[in-house]
Amino acid sequence: MQGGKAVKKRINQTLIGIMLVAGILAATASLAQEAKVAVLNPRGALPLIRLVPMAPRLDTLDGKTVYLIAASFAVPLMPELQKVMAEKYPKTTWVLKNKPGSYFDDDPALWAEAKEKSSAVIMGVGH
Amino acid sequence: MGLPCSPVVTQRFLDVARTITYKKGMPNQRIIYVPHPVSGRPAEVVRNHLLGNDPVTGKPILDELIAALTKPLNAEEKKTGFVTRPARPRLLDPDTPTNLQRMMSKNGWTDGLPIVLPTEERVAAMLKGTSHGRDEIVGTMRPSPPHEAWEYTVEMVAANAVMAGAQPEHFPVILALASTGVTSLFSSTTSFARMVVVSGPIREEIKMNGGIGALGPFNEANAVIGRAWTLISKNLGGAIAGETYMGGQGNNLNYNNVCIPENEEALPAGWKPLHVQKGFKPGESVVSTFTGWSLINHAGRAARDKEAFKQLLVSLSASGMGMGGSQAMILLDPLVARDLRESFDTKEKFSAWLIQNPGAPTGSPGFGSAIEILVVGGEANPCLTIGDFTYVSSASIDKWR
Repeated sequence: MQGGKAVKKRINQTLIGIMLVAGILAATASLAQEAKVAVLNPRGALPLIRLVPMAPRLDTLDGKTVYLIAASFAVPLMPELQKVMAEKYPKTTWVLKNKPGSYFDDDPALWAEAKEKSSAVIMGVGH
Repeated sequence: MGLPCSPVVTQRFLDVARTITYKKGMPNQRIIYVPHPVSGRPAEVVRNHLLGNDPVTGKPILDELIAALTKPLNAEEKKTGFVTRPARPRLLDPDTPTNLQRMMSKNGWTDGLPIVLPTEERVAAMLKGTSHGRDEIVGTMRPSPPHEAWEYTVEMVAANAVMAGAQPEHFPVILALASTGVTSLFSSTTSFARMVVVSGPIREEIKMNGGIGALGPFNEANAVIGRAWTLISKNLGGAIAGETYMGGQGNNLNYNNVCIPENEEALPAGWKPLHVQKGFKPGESVVSTFTGWSLINHAGRAARDKEAFKQLLVSLSASGMGMGGSQAMILLDPLVARDLRESFDTKEKFSAWLIQNPGAPTGSPGFGSAIEILVVGGEANPCLTIGDFTYVSSASIDKWR
């Protein structure tokens, strides 16, 4: 009887010991988790974007002149487009214009010419 | 123009086209796409593309072109006003360092390498490297002319300098670089590289290395300043791969942008330092930027025979390097520079002699002078490095102390 009580006591002590160790391990693991930090936003400030309303569309292209403007790397895209459009839509005048310089470069003279002499523009940017 | 207009773009540039039209205030632009590539393709191939379908919408290209110019505008297309953009918080949501590293890398805010997190404490320490206030506007930067420019303050540059691993003593150089507005990650499909050269007393102050291993991974200042420029170009200059950066293969030089000091102490008599050539005083500290694509290390005959330089330059031009061979830069080890000094008592005379030769680079419009000469290296071997870089700009570092 006494031997049984001693065994029981030893088992209880062992269980308590295991629970203590488990508790310590859990607490340690919790402490080892990274703490959160705040950092500054490295990104720049985005500018405002003002909406540019699109120009009204044409009722028809018949009888109109359309400029086909070829920017950098748009050969042979735009020359071929001129041929195809002239074949398929012969009632429209398709004028091919090469934009000098790179597609980065503004060309106010070309835009002014397009506005004066055409009713619409298709601009090809190649690659 | 006030005319109905439709752009035709190759399919590969779908994201770029949408991004640019959105940021230009035309989010509903009627863009027509054709298969990619078209440049240099046989005319018959391109014709067949045009007679086929738009690879993005699946609709006949010709029908789309006509509709783009004639179909009446809808309500969205007629809108005016401003696009609502997300607010920019000064601080990011708090998180663990591990998660912040992953988030920043995943978002494309790093160069793929671990960064130093820009905490308030670290940024405050960085700001001690300049007399300028944290909210002062440093400048704006864009990946290339069609793209929008982002604006940034001293504090924003500081955050990126911290991320790069810089110390406060490096900060005036980084601010000077940021003030140029020049991106290190230009949009072009040709995969540009950049170079940054530091001149003047600050080189010694911050212990930059212009000697042995100058172009290599052997010096903190060289490394972090160059790296900071890349991070600034991404986070403050809007370079986003696939959207605003389209370098087809990319360029490995972008990691550090060949950040070096000129070895001014080793310049032969009469050979001026770079910043003096660009109009600054010898005692000023200056940062200069260059643009190009490639560098070639050359330890061959040209290093010992000035006539061989001619052949080297002509070969470079003939290869098509650098805008069809129009520009070049030569980094001379001091041993080579001293030999050349026997024939040329200034850098300019050497450069002019090189340009005289048929087939040598002669510069191209908008890209500055034909051949830049710098002295850098530690006299271990009479080598030189030659590349297709040309000068872009210089900025005072002293202004940002």
